Amino acid sequence: MTMAGPELAHQLTPLAVLLPLGVAFLLLALSHWLPPRTADVTALVIALGLMVLCGWLGAESWHGPIVHWFGGWTPPVSGKPDVMLGIAFSVDPASAAVAAFCALLFAGSFVFAWGYFDKVHAHFHVLMLLFLAAMIGFCLTRDVFNLFVWFELMGIAAFALTAYPLGKSSLEGAFNFTIANALGSFLMLAGVGLLYARTGTLDFVTMGRIIASLPPDPVIAGGFCLVATALLTKAAIVPFNMWLSDAHAVAPSPVSVIFSGVMVSLGLFGLLKLVAIVFAGDPRVMMLVHIGLFWLGVATAVVGGLMAWAQRHLKRLLAFSTISHLGVMLIAVASVSAIGTEGFLVYLVGHGLVKGALFMIAGVLLARFNSVDEIELYGEGRSIWPAGIAMGVAGLLLGGLPWGLLHDATDSVHAGSHGLAGVVAIVAGTALTGAAVLRATARIFLRWSGVPGVERVAPTEREREKGDRPLWLMLLPCAVMLAIALLPADLAESFVHRAATGLVARAIPHAGGGTQAAAITFALTILIPAASLLRHRPTRRLARVAAHVETAPFYGLHVLHSGRVTDYVVWMMVGLAVLAGWLKFG
Amino acid sequence: MTGSWRLALLAPALVVLAIAAAQVILAMPAFGHPLSQYGATVDALVPMLRNVSNMVAAVNFDIRSIDTLGEESMLICAVTATVVLLRGHRGEGMTECAGRLPGRVWLERSDATVLMCRLAATTLFLYGVNVVLHGTVTPGGGFQGGAIAASSFVLIYLGEGYSTWRDVLHSETLAAVEGFGGFVFAMAAMVPLAFGYAAAQNVLPLGTWKDLYSGGLMVIVNAAVGVAVIGSFGVLLMEFMEETRAPKPGDEDDEDQEEGA
Repeated sequence: MTMAGPELAHQLTPLAVLLPLGVAFLLLALSHWLPPRTADVTALVIALGLMVLCGWLGAESWHGPIVHWFGGWTPPVSGKPDVMLGIAFSVDPASAAVAAFCALLFAGSFVFAWGYFDKVHAHFHVLMLLFLAAMIGFCLTRDVFNLFVWFELMGIAAFALTAYPLGKSSLEGAFNFTIANALGSFLMLAGVGLLYARTGTLDFVTMGRIIASLPPDPVIAGGFCLVATALLTKAAIVPFNMWLSDAHAVAPSPVSVIFSGVMVSLGLFGLLKLVAIVFAGDPRVMMLVHIGLFWLGVATAVVGGLMAWAQRHLKRLLAFSTISHLGVMLIAVASVSAIGTEGFLVYLVGHGLVKGALFMIAGVLLARFNSVDEIELYGEGRSIWPAGIAMGVAGLLLGGLPWGLLHDATDSVHAGSHGLAGVVAIVAGTALTGAAVLRATARIFLRWSGVPGVERVAPTEREREKGDRPLWLMLLPCAVMLAIALLPADLAESFVHRAATGLVARAIPHAGGGTQAAAITFALTILIPAASLLRHRPTRRLARVAAHVETAPFYGLHVLHSGRVTDYVVWMMVGLAVLAGWLKFG
Repeated sequence: MTGSWRLALLAPALVVLAIAAAQVILAMPAFGHPLSQYGATVDALVPMLRNVSNMVAAVNFDIRSIDTLGEESMLICAVTATVVLLRGHRGEGMTECAGRLPGRVWLERSDATVLMCRLAATTLFLYGVNVVLHGTVTPGGGFQGGAIAASSFVLIYLGEGYSTWRDVLHSETLAAVEGFGGFVFAMAAMVPLAFGYAAAQNVLPLGTWKDLYSGGLMVIVNAAVGVAVIGSFGVLLMEFMEETRAPKPGDEDDEDQEEGA
């Protein structure tokens, strides 16, 4: 049977989700009898296959979205224009590219984790494949309730994977993660209920059409607040961010690669899609997005950057750096413009690659030295210097090295944002996180130090990960990911432009100023750690006062990140109230 | 943060949220009116299109079956997660008897208990299967029927004692049943694609309205859900029961567990 390209793409679209689900179930059923390594091989092949499939679907959707109605319930089967009976997947270049990127990171993580998880049958691979299926479903669906289903499945898989090492800290981290995100899920379900109650449909496009035709409506606004809170919680935006640093710091490294690399940014991708397709016709909601979410992004970029600088536990440092970069991405999303979306999409990929690579290096350190504490590991890393080179490159990329995907993406984000606050937040977040990674690299691999400043008082903990894997096997996926991150974004310029305009058509005048900001950012990335590494013990009185003034605000931030889930829930409610209050009184 | 700080933050937030919620509630469609267009359309069209009398089943297993596959995956994922979390320290080994509180009197089961449990377990299992099979005709279906059938396993434990329960039910078999059910559901969605239909398209003969066989593919999907739920609940019961058993010295699985903190 031969089919033309578009027809074949239509037939293959559901496989992007059904295949990993089916294989996960089969692995579960047969896990007791499978020869060793079968699960490793199968999971890797499936992840690579899905990457190719989603990439190809993205190319096929160039001229318009591929829409597949499950069960053949293609409209107008109901005979009414506003009643969509079934559920559709809609493939556009952006969604397919993000889905393909998820699969790429999973493939990298499977290679990195080769042989790491062989003790409990295939449970790790079953959970990971369900996790991947949920992410791809989340990218491709165009039904609000179906979006919730994949969101929830993602959450459940992620809770289990966080707790996988079963140590005290990983159970605590998983507990905080579960409570915060399950609360987010409840809010999302309630929000979906409100939206359905008003519009009578769950289909993105139909719902968007109905919302655009309604007068401003508190039910729609309330629905948006609740759904947005859930997605912002997943994306760890201030003040919904507290769970992330607990969870990402304690999850097994191959899992943290996925968490920080793409799971959290998917929250923002989902938000962007909903805003662009469903809520674009509601001016009050759009005001909230343009201004309110912009400021949340600014706060997140700065707070995340400061907290990353103040850590000594490498995985915690990376977790806070992720929060900071999510703030930058939210600034891009809040512009809801073509250029901002271009920046967001490239940033998502560039950040995911670099952050994934960094978590792999943290995993290498854990496997070799049973620690990721930059002060404890002073000079230890010399025996594995290739990892040091990779970490240095990754740190430079994170901190705005004028080369590669992240740099080009940051330029676009600058062009899409407006006002000094956006520029300052992006510069501060980028420079502080890059500086923190470079400081840790210098300490661990170069034996450079200087008297530790704020990071000395940060929480730290010894951990272990199974260490019998060869170094090259762990560094291979890391090197490949960094190599991709070093490519210039121009290579895919037309694709990215197409992908962004497929989601958001709105063009805005470029704010510009990106190049100057980029130069300042990179200079700061180099200067901040240099100053820190050359620091002497403050002996003179003035120096002691200065050191005290420097550390005081960090104590405050440390106190806020208390590790207590009750505090986190309070902050989530405050955040929700801020969003709701903005819509009501703003 | 101390409790009073928490309250000081939470109270104003809740005030704002209460005002916002009140505004939303007052703007909601009035109670029971107007009837959802979606429900009315399904009621009007689907008995004719699919020959089924249970509209909830039609929505779950046909019209929005991809949602149900996602929910089925959630169940299986959650059960797998439970196994990972609970079994970690304990391994899969078996002992002669379940853990007991030291000093508690151990009484032999009476014949009456054994007899009642055997009767009730069989009846309950058959009743569960019956609810699964009539999923497209009457209220119930795979999820509910599967849960009922799986609860008969507890009665085996009650009536026959720990060692027989472990002899009868094996965790690998239960996991296989669970995975197989999920796999059949996924295949039911994939196979129509190969023949040029949409995923999960209901292309089997639809059967007769109000008959045991009605709804075509829904019958298979519904049964697959039932099988998966029986397996999942079985695994779950097994792991919970095993929690009462103290680990043997050789049971700790490896170095990862030793440290803990």
